[in-house]
Amino acid sequence: MSGDAEGLIGDVGRHVPAMSATLRPRPLDELQAWGGVELVRGKRVLDLGCGDGRFALAVAAFASTVEGLDPDPEAIAAAKKAARRSGVRNVRFAVGAAQRLPYPDGALDVVILSWTL
Amino acid sequence: MVDALREVHRVLAARGILVDARPDSRVLAYAEGRRARGFQRFGEVKTSRFAIAIDRASDLAIGRVVRERLFKRKRRGRFWHRVPFDSLGDLRQYLSEHLRFVHRAKWVVEAATRRRYTNGQFVIRRAVRYEILVPSPRSRRALVPSVVAAAHAKHSE
Repeated sequence: MSGDAEGLIGDVGRHVPAMSATLRPRPLDELQAWGGVELVRGKRVLDLGCGDGRFALAVAAFASTVEGLDPDPEAIAAAKKAARRSGVRNVRFAVGAAQRLPYPDGALDVVILSWTL
Repeated sequence: MVDALREVHRVLAARGILVDARPDSRVLAYAEGRRARGFQRFGEVKTSRFAIAIDRASDLAIGRVVRERLFKRKRRGRFWHRVPFDSLGDLRQYLSEHLRFVHRAKWVVEAATRRRYTNGQFVIRRAVRYEILVPSPRSRRALVPSVVAAAHAKHSE
């Protein structure tokens, strides 16, 4: 991360709620720590508790399809907006609860609980 | 949490994986000052009781689905993440708002040192743990709740 970017994030820390996803590790850094992009390459991925979609959008470049699910409608609206802005086409976001996943049995290869459980 | 993990087991393909990643409350976080050659430790930051209780509940949920043989633990690890701040004041402000941490760091440097570097760049370095789990083949034990539910439904007819 560049010095400017780190400075910006530091500044964000002053003004936004402390649980902001902006203050978390960068998605690809996190993915690298787990084992690298091979973990999701060509896979059907679910980002459970996706929030504003930062992680789902980051792994979309490697995955076959990415589903993002979160109970917060505002966060999902923000995620959809970010997906439109970035032109990512293999990501779908939906409002829903983890206790009733709207997917058929065996439909996914990777489920990610990133700062969710 | 256990219900959610059971649902995850249902939607995962046979060779799928589940990644559980979250801050590691079992180790301290550190307040560090940025120096020309790395970082100087200024203080330690404990996790709040509230966050420890939530993490404990999450650990128990994972343990339960492993005991139920829905998942098998495959690999786990930890990495460190730095949250940057423009000054010591910014770091303190962050701590005062943050739900995961106690609101004050335990300083390990003298007050004079903190005053000297108060406008320097700081970070909070915290641990993030992750665990990779794979679904086990649906065991008889895992099927028991649905069998019991079916039996209840039949009995009530």
